[in-house]
Amino acid sequence: MKKKLLSAVLAGVMVMGTLAGCGSSSATETEKETKADTTEAAAQDDTAAAEDTAAGDTAAAEDAAESTEAAGEEAAPTSEPIRFMNTKIEIDEPLKAFAKKYQEQTGQEVVIESLGGGVDVNGQLKNYYAAGNMPDIFAYAADSYQSFKDWLAPLDGESWIADTDYAFTADDGTVVGMPFAVEGIGVTYNKDILDKAGIDPATLTTIDAYRAAFEKLDGMKDELGLQAVCSVAAESGQMNWSTGNHMMAVYIAQGQDRSDKSLIEMEQKGEIDKERMSQFADWVKLLFDYADQNVLISGTYDDQLALWAQGKTAFITQGNWIDPSLDTYNATFACGIAPAAFSAEETTGILADAPAVWGIYKDSDKIDACKKFLEALATTEEGQQALVIDCGMVSPFKSCKLEPTTPLAASMIPYIKDGNTYAWDWLMQPEGIAQNATGAVFELYAKDQLDKEGFVDMMESTIADYAAQQ
Amino acid sequence: MNSSAKKTISLIALIVGIAAMAVALYLDFTGSQNAYRGGILIVGAVLVLFGIYYYPTKKHRKIINFIFLFPLVFAFGVTVLVPFICGIFYSLTDWDGVKMTQFVGLGNYIKMFQSKDYLYSFVITFIFTVINMISVNIVAFALALLCTSRVKGRNFYRAAFFVPNLIGGIVLGYVWQFIFNKVFTSVIAGSVSMLTDPNQALAAILIVSTWQYAGYIMMIYVTGLQGVPKDVLEASSVDGANAWTTLRRIKMPMIANTFTVCIFLTLVNSFKQYDLNLALTNGAPSRILAGKAVQSTELLALNIVNTAISKNQYALGQTKAVVFFIILAIVSLTQVSISKKKEVEM
Repeated sequence: MKKKLLSAVLAGVMVMGTLAGCGSSSATETEKETKADTTEAAAQDDTAAAEDTAAGDTAAAEDAAESTEAAGEEAAPTSEPIRFMNTKIEIDEPLKAFAKKYQEQTGQEVVIESLGGGVDVNGQLKNYYAAGNMPDIFAYAADSYQSFKDWLAPLDGESWIADTDYAFTADDGTVVGMPFAVEGIGVTYNKDILDKAGIDPATLTTIDAYRAAFEKLDGMKDELGLQAVCSVAAESGQMNWSTGNHMMAVYIAQGQDRSDKSLIEMEQKGEIDKERMSQFADWVKLLFDYADQNVLISGTYDDQLALWAQGKTAFITQGNWIDPSLDTYNATFACGIAPAAFSAEETTGILADAPAVWGIYKDSDKIDACKKFLEALATTEEGQQALVIDCGMVSPFKSCKLEPTTPLAASMIPYIKDGNTYAWDWLMQPEGIAQNATGAVFELYAKDQLDKEGFVDMMESTIADYAAQQ
Repeated sequence: MNSSAKKTISLIALIVGIAAMAVALYLDFTGSQNAYRGGILIVGAVLVLFGIYYYPTKKHRKIINFIFLFPLVFAFGVTVLVPFICGIFYSLTDWDGVKMTQFVGLGNYIKMFQSKDYLYSFVITFIFTVINMISVNIVAFALALLCTSRVKGRNFYRAAFFVPNLIGGIVLGYVWQFIFNKVFTSVIAGSVSMLTDPNQALAAILIVSTWQYAGYIMMIYVTGLQGVPKDVLEASSVDGANAWTTLRRIKMPMIANTFTVCIFLTLVNSFKQYDLNLALTNGAPSRILAGKAVQSTELLALNIVNTAISKNQYALGQTKAVVFFIILAIVSLTQVSISKKKEVEM
């Protein structure tokens, strides 16, 4: 009898232990624990992201974990800290430094939680939402706006709105997102090589100018030490974002007024402008023909970048986000971004827009504090210093006088100052179209399995099919 | 203590326990932030268990079995059963990962079988599974024979063949991508990467997958082969059986159950292939099929993830996952029941 009673007691303790184990996180939700969970998740995600920078990312995320845990233990001076979800791991440190300064000045604590590259950010936000653990400020892009539109607090009346062209507006016209950087897409050139060949990048404003330049460079390959004229990668598995999004962006917006959304609206309905697509096909063909063929059909982003950064090609079809990688290759040559002038008509601008914006969660109990923090980032000198100099980004605000120090970001400034930019309407393409549909068409075209007519026709049918599936 | 007093005590414990649990659950569902609701739930559960244990019937002590099983059952329920049921439920709705607005009945299932990318993935996964199952088992069995023969350094081989299995699929995928894209193209000058041709890319996945998994399956075969009784082998050699006859007539029937296990493992594993697929090709290269561009190596698991994450159609992805589970269950159970018939009882 005694034995049995003992075993019953032991079993009871075991049950209690099990329940208590789950109970503490589900039933008695304490702030600190959930915070530790989220940073842990971020750290794990970072480790999973198999990139060159993985080691750096993890270290950064661990720092983040440490600092948030520490923050959870300290008593906040005024109120609870603002939770800020940053999705650009590379600006994690400057943001944290700014948050610290901000706390010293205002007493408001801001905890920066960064998610690393390769993480499914939208999925992570959905997890946070499902767990009732939404951050107060989070980053999102126009392409995921549909998922998040019910969660955003209106930002109308903020002082920075008049200062920028890139504020993100909801369907009904209210501003719901603050831009923090502008990125540019065009054809990036190595100025040293162009100078040696006697080509002025300022003349590259039509497809004919490009064709002439490519032919000239192709003839001088040995002299210039080039392996190919351009560095393009069109493999559909890993590079679909480059072709299906960034190249496609040229078809969607190059030469169009920023407010003219006709082409993207057509694509959303599953239609294309065949005439324009056919001109675009010529442009893509030109780039593909003069590209290094191995990298074109099987290269990764690193292969593509290495080729250009080592001076083996004159052009690359990537935008200013390659700036931070140039140091890795000790690239010291002058470079800049030229318009992706895909047609015979002259287009002198690049595609520039805010790739993501910061929004405030509408059920946050600290909306006003969040607004103040965003305002400080946008309008104060320290904020601009943090974003432009420390993070190396191009400021979306007109009043910002600071010039970025990185070469490609600097080369974007004249376009932006002159208002010579086209919108990133590609962000509003049907979700996942590059990866699941159009990327494959670009690859077939790169492998010469499609001719020009074939490319245009298949684009038409692929986009139509994809839009019908949505 | 007489039985009526026991009865009263246990009944009181039961009632109080159930009430406590009900209160705790009520607090939780109404979104109360009361910090004690977890504690009340646990106390309630313990009281209920105590009540059942103490209630004087013949079999009431059986509850002990349940209590000891509880941690396992609970973990299994939370991590497998509940998500599985939720999954089936979501596949009938228009869930987008956050919220659902309506039931769509079997709409997702119909839509799924109408989408050509899914059907293509289905076919290609089937082909992949069959070839991979055969190649892994042949290679693994051959290696196992090598490692159980009298060849010198067999322990070293055994360890060496097993090592690829210790490397994660993602890392392996990137390593082999480099080999296919860079090493092979420079060794065979002027050739293009295997990963740019649809059929060769599938073959590439097969090669890497076999390379990775054969060592693991080999270990199971080695164990099986070592378990074949020496006296039977001796008897066969006395009867004049040569090596081939011994293998064919003695060893293979004796380790039929090992074959069942190995074929089952490879079948399930090939069907669920994801990480290698993601890292090595991620669906590329594309091919033209009936006038449409399709991703030629997008296996089912990758297709499901892409549907849910990249297309942001969580309900449809969930539907595909449910069907994926059903097919996998049917195929593997059929295989096991067929293989079982071939086994020899010792």
